[in-house]
Amino acid sequence: MAVSWAVALALGAAAFALAHWSARALPRPAPFGELAYYPSGRYLRPAVLGHPETAADLAWLRAVQYYGEHRRTDNRFDQLAHVFDILTALSPGFQSAYVFGSFALAQEGGRFPQAERLMRSGLENNPTSGRLAFEAGFLYYVRPGGRDLAHAAECFELASRLPGGPPSATRFAAFARQNSGSLVVAYALWADVLNTSSNRYMREAAEREMQRIRLAIESRRESLARDRLGVPGVIVRPGS
Amino acid sequence: MSALVVARNTYREAIRDRVLLGIVIAGFAVLALTQVLRPLALGEGLRLTIDLGLSSIAFLGLLVVLLVGAGLVSKEIDRRTIYNLLSRPLPRWVYLVGKWAGLSTALWVVAAALGFALWALVALLGHPGYAGSIAEAVYLEGLELTLVTAVAVFFSSLSTPVLSALYTAGVFLGGQWCDDLRMIAGHFPGAFARVLEGAADVMPNLTLFNMRTLASSGATTSALHLALATLYALLYCGCALALGAAALESRDFK
Amino acid sequence: MPSVVSSVASRTVAGQRPPDGARPASGAAIRTRGLAKSYRDNWTLRVKVGLSPLDLDVERGEIFGLLGPNGAGKTTTLKLLTGLLKPTQGRAWLMDVPAEDVRSRCALGFLPEQPYFYDYLNGVEYLEMVARLSGLAAAEATPQARHWLGRVGLSGRERVLLRKYSKGMLQRLGLAAALVHSPELLILDEPMSGLDPFGRRDVRDLILEQRERGVTVLFSSHILPDVEALCDRVAILLGGRLERVATVGELVSARGGSVEIRCAGAAVVELPHAFATTLRRSERPGETLFTLSDASLLEPVLAWMVESRLSVRAVIPQRGALEEVFLAAAEASANAASAEGVAAAGDTRRSA
Repeated sequence: MAVSWAVALALGAAAFALAHWSARALPRPAPFGELAYYPSGRYLRPAVLGHPETAADLAWLRAVQYYGEHRRTDNRFDQLAHVFDILTALSPGFQSAYVFGSFALAQEGGRFPQAERLMRSGLENNPTSGRLAFEAGFLYYVRPGGRDLAHAAECFELASRLPGGPPSATRFAAFARQNSGSLVVAYALWADVLNTSSNRYMREAAEREMQRIRLAIESRRESLARDRLGVPGVIVRPGS
Repeated sequence: MSALVVARNTYREAIRDRVLLGIVIAGFAVLALTQVLRPLALGEGLRLTIDLGLSSIAFLGLLVVLLVGAGLVSKEIDRRTIYNLLSRPLPRWVYLVGKWAGLSTALWVVAAALGFALWALVALLGHPGYAGSIAEAVYLEGLELTLVTAVAVFFSSLSTPVLSALYTAGVFLGGQWCDDLRMIAGHFPGAFARVLEGAADVMPNLTLFNMRTLASSGATTSALHLALATLYALLYCGCALALGAAALESRDFK
Repeated sequence: MPSVVSSVASRTVAGQRPPDGARPASGAAIRTRGLAKSYRDNWTLRVKVGLSPLDLDVERGEIFGLLGPNGAGKTTTLKLLTGLLKPTQGRAWLMDVPAEDVRSRCALGFLPEQPYFYDYLNGVEYLEMVARLSGLAAAEATPQARHWLGRVGLSGRERVLLRKYSKGMLQRLGLAAALVHSPELLILDEPMSGLDPFGRRDVRDLILEQRERGVTVLFSSHILPDVEALCDRVAILLGGRLERVATVGELVSARGGSVEIRCAGAAVVELPHAFATTLRRSERPGETLFTLSDASLLEPVLAWMVESRLSVRAVIPQRGALEEVFLAAAEASANAASAEGVAAAGDTRRSA
C-alpha cells in the first residue's frame, strides 16, 4: 500500500508541475475567444435548458472580466457587442447589461452605432422601464462626436412618464431641449451617475468627467471639458 | 394506506442512502459560491444569488431523479426485493404510486430546505421582501421535479436504470424544447410537421414551471398560473403512473 | 384496478382460521387446474416450457413438499401461485380465492428462494413494513415484528442494518417476514437454504408448530431428509411436469427395500446360482452379513439358509430412502425423454 501511495503522489506531483509549466509556456487562449464562435442568444437559449437567466449571469461575469482586462491593456473591445447581444438575448430583462454594454461600447469602444442598437433593443424588450429610458437619454446626451439632444430629450421625456424613471428626468429633458450642450447640464448628469450607479467603472468615469468640467469652468476654458465630451456641434433636429 | 407504507419506505431509503445529503450540501455550496462571485458581478450580486440558487435547486433535483428515480423500480426487480412486497395483498399500481410519492416527498424536502436557505441568504443581504417570489419559484420547481419523477418511475417499470435515466433525460429535454419544437414544425411540410407537433404535445410542457425570470426581480406570478401548473402536473403524473402501472402489471418476475 | 384490501378482517374472506389445535376446515388450501407457464424468446421466437399443465390439490392443514432437480419448475409453480408470474394457461386458487386476485395473498406468507432485503433498514423496520402491507394495523405491526424477530433467533439485533446480516440471518428474517402476520397458508421456497443444522432444526420446529395451528404449508426443498421428516405428501416435478404425488410412506414402500440377514458359520458356504444377482455377502468379525436386494425372495433365501444349517441371528428389512425414490424417478424420466426423442427422430427419418 505504501508503494501505491508513493506512486500516486509522484505521478500527481509530476502532473501538477506539467500543468503549471504548460500554463506558462503555451499561448493562452483569448478570454472571449470561445464566445466569438457561439451562435446568437436566440439559438443559445434552447441549449441552456430552461436556465437562461443563470446563463446570462455567468456570461455577465465573463463580460465584466473581459472589459476589465482589456481596459487595463489594449482598450480594444472587439467581442463586447457580440457578448452583450448574447447576454441580452438570453435575458431580455437584464437592464444593467444594456446600460453597461451601451456605455462601454460608446465611451471606450468607440462604437456608438452598436451601443445605440443595444440600448434600443433594451427599450423594446423593456417598454415600461423608466430607468432604461433615462439611461438611453444619457447615452445620446454624451455621444462622442456630437451630442444628440433631440433623441436625448425624447428619452428623458419618456423616462419621466414611465415607472422607475428618476424624478430628475423631467429636468434633464427640459435642459436637453433648451440647451445646446451646456456644461452645467452635463455636470448634473455625471453627478447623478456618481450617486446612483452601483457599477464601479461608471462611477470612476463620472468622477473623471466631473473633474474635467470643474477644471474647464474654473479656468474658463470650456473647450477642455467640451473636447472630452465630444466634438463638434450638437445635432439639433428641426422642430425641437 | 399501503401506498403510504411504500412511500415511507422509499423516502427512508432516499434519506439513508445519503444521496440527498450530498445534494443538499452541493446546494449550500452553490449558495456559498454565489457570495464568492458577488463582488465580481458589479452590483448584480442579488440577481446572481437568486438565479444561481434557483437553478441549483432545479439542476440538483433533476440529478436525483436521474440517479435514483430512474432505477426506483428496476433496481428492486434486479435485487428481487420486490418479491417480498408483491407477494402480499399489494396491487402493483399501489406499489408504483407509493414509490413515486416517496421519492417526490424527498425531493420536496430538499427543494424546501434549499429554498429556505436561499431566502435566508437574500434576507441577510438586505432584501427580505423576496420571500414570495422565491417561494413561488421553488414551488413550481418542486412541481416540475414531481412530474419528471413520475416519468422516471414509468421508464423504470420498463427498462434498466441506465436506459431509464437516458429516456427520462430525453423527455426532460423535450419538455424544455416544446415551444421550439412547435416553431420548428412550422418550417416543415405536411406529415412531418404533424409528427413534430404531436411530439411537442406529448412532451411535458416544462416551461409552465419556470418562474426564474420573474423571481430574480422579486416579481410574483398569478394565482391562475400556479393553479394551472399544479393541475397540469397532477394530470401528467397520473398519466405517466398509469402507463407505468400498465407496464408493471404485465411483467413477469422470473 | 383491484381495490386495496388492507384490513385484518378482510383476511377472513379467504377462509376461517381454525382455533389452535383443532382440525382445519375441509377443502383445498391450494388448487390448480391446468396451470402452465411457457416463455417465448423475443429473438428466436422459440418457446420454452417452464411448467406443463399442472393439476394439484394441497389440503388445508397439511405439509406438502415439492421435489425436483434444478429447472424442474418448482420455483415457477410457487411464483405462479404467489402472483409473481402470470400463467400462460390454467388457473389457481389459494384458500378458494383466485390467485390472480390480490386478495388471495391476504392469508399468504411467502418466503422466496434466497430472499433479498433493503440494506438500509433494520430487522424491526422491515418486519413492521411487510406486516403493514399484509394488513396489520400500525399498533399491531410493531409488537408482532419484535415477537417474530425473537422467534427466529434474531433478538438483540433489532437495530442492526440488514446489510450486515449473514446469509443465515437473512433466511431467518425471510421466515419471520412470512409469518409476521400469522398467515393461514405458507409457501416456502427452499426454507432451509443457508442454514446450519441448528437453524434447520429451528425451521423444522417452526413448520411443525404452524401445522399444529392449522396452517397449510407448501415448500420446496433439495434437502430430502427434511422433506421426508416433515411432509405429509410430496409431489415430484421433473422437466416442468408433475411425475407423482403421494405420501412419503407410499413412495418409499413402493420402492420395496432390501433385507439384511446376519448369520454365523457362513464363511465357506457357496451361494446358490439362483440368488447370485440378488444376494451379496460380506464378512464381519464373528458373523457374515447377507444383503438381499429383492425382498420378495426372502422366503426361499431363508429356506436355503436353514437347509445349509446356517445360524440366522437377525433378519432386518431396510426401508428405502426418499433419495433413492427421487433419483430413480429422475432416471426414469430422463430415459423416457430420451426414448421419446429417439422415436421422434426415427419418425422424422421414416417420413423423410
